[in-house]
Amino acid sequence: MYVVINPNIEIDRKRCTTPFDCKRCLQICPTAVFSVHAVRNERGRLTDKTEPGNYALAVSYRDQCSACMRCVEVCPADALTVEMPQEASA
Amino acid sequence: MCRMCDWLGDGEIWYKNPKNYANRMYKLREPGKKAATSISGAGGGGGSLAQAIEAKANGDMDTFHETIKKMDEHGMTRPGAQVVPLSECIDIINDIGMPVGAMHCICRKGTRGEEENDLNQYSCMGLGTGMFKWERWPERYRGGVKFLSPKEAAEWLEYWDERGMVHMLMQEGGDFIGGLCNCDYPDCGPIRHRIDYGLQSALTKGEYICDVEYDKCNGCGQCLGRCQFNALKYEPTIDKPNIDPMECYGCALCMTACTRNAITLVSRETSPVLKNVW
Repeated sequence: MYVVINPNIEIDRKRCTTPFDCKRCLQICPTAVFSVHAVRNERGRLTDKTEPGNYALAVSYRDQCSACMRCVEVCPADALTVEMPQEASA
Repeated sequence: MCRMCDWLGDGEIWYKNPKNYANRMYKLREPGKKAATSISGAGGGGGSLAQAIEAKANGDMDTFHETIKKMDEHGMTRPGAQVVPLSECIDIINDIGMPVGAMHCICRKGTRGEEENDLNQYSCMGLGTGMFKWERWPERYRGGVKFLSPKEAAEWLEYWDERGMVHMLMQEGGDFIGGLCNCDYPDCGPIRHRIDYGLQSALTKGEYICDVEYDKCNGCGQCLGRCQFNALKYEPTIDKPNIDPMECYGCALCMTACTRNAITLVSRETSPVLKNVW
């Protein structure tokens, strides 16, 4: 049996501040690994997508990541790190 | 009949029964208790999908399968999304689902950051009187809502069908049929959760399967590429498509693409095997 190991994906939230406005990684990922959500969903309030911190990017489907690195290349804030865990290369 | 039909259908297909469009699906919540989280949503089922994915990504398949099994056991106690062919979606809109409001797709917003701001972009539809209070939650209905007449709604569904989207009934955020979405892999949560993680409770196959009549089929290939479930493939040896009934979800996208009426919907009940394949 082949065992598939996927890379670790880190998001630097200090750099990635307005992901719903930027959405470059969300749209370029061939397997849609990322997701974005409003940090607060309050009655009667629309979230301003340009206000830093209002939306957060998350790695929802890491098991689908093939380490193509397109998200790292496209990120304008250098906020993403995609690295294989040490064990996998051993 | 699927598990929701057995449970909520009163002897008929559950989505043809008007009571299932009412709030709470006849199961009143305990006072002060909030509605159970839908398994189809990101992080549903107590966040255990995240745990399952973490285990799988680290190569720990035992933990993955164990976690998915537990999630599915919980999921089976709740209704889930179901694939519905276009013709029956239009029946629902005409007979039961009104009012209907077109809106953005919550899955596509999350997975792709898509913003659908008007009728030319909306890909999801909310059903029933609950839609009238959408303005309470502007972020949930980001991009607004456009209420449609049954005729407009049917045309809108036909547009997305032509574009190759699978139609699915949803209980997004509630215990009642509240949405009719136009879905595709990988953007759609329920499709992804079923295909990638084997969560049967997240998405139930349709009540029908598609069947090709080879006498009518001329091998034009219009149906190819429409199937999102790897059920329909081209058979080079006979120059005709082959539909695997065990894999077919009954979305009927191949059927609506066929110009020769060579593909028909057949009830799962007609097969002693398929009546148990959901």
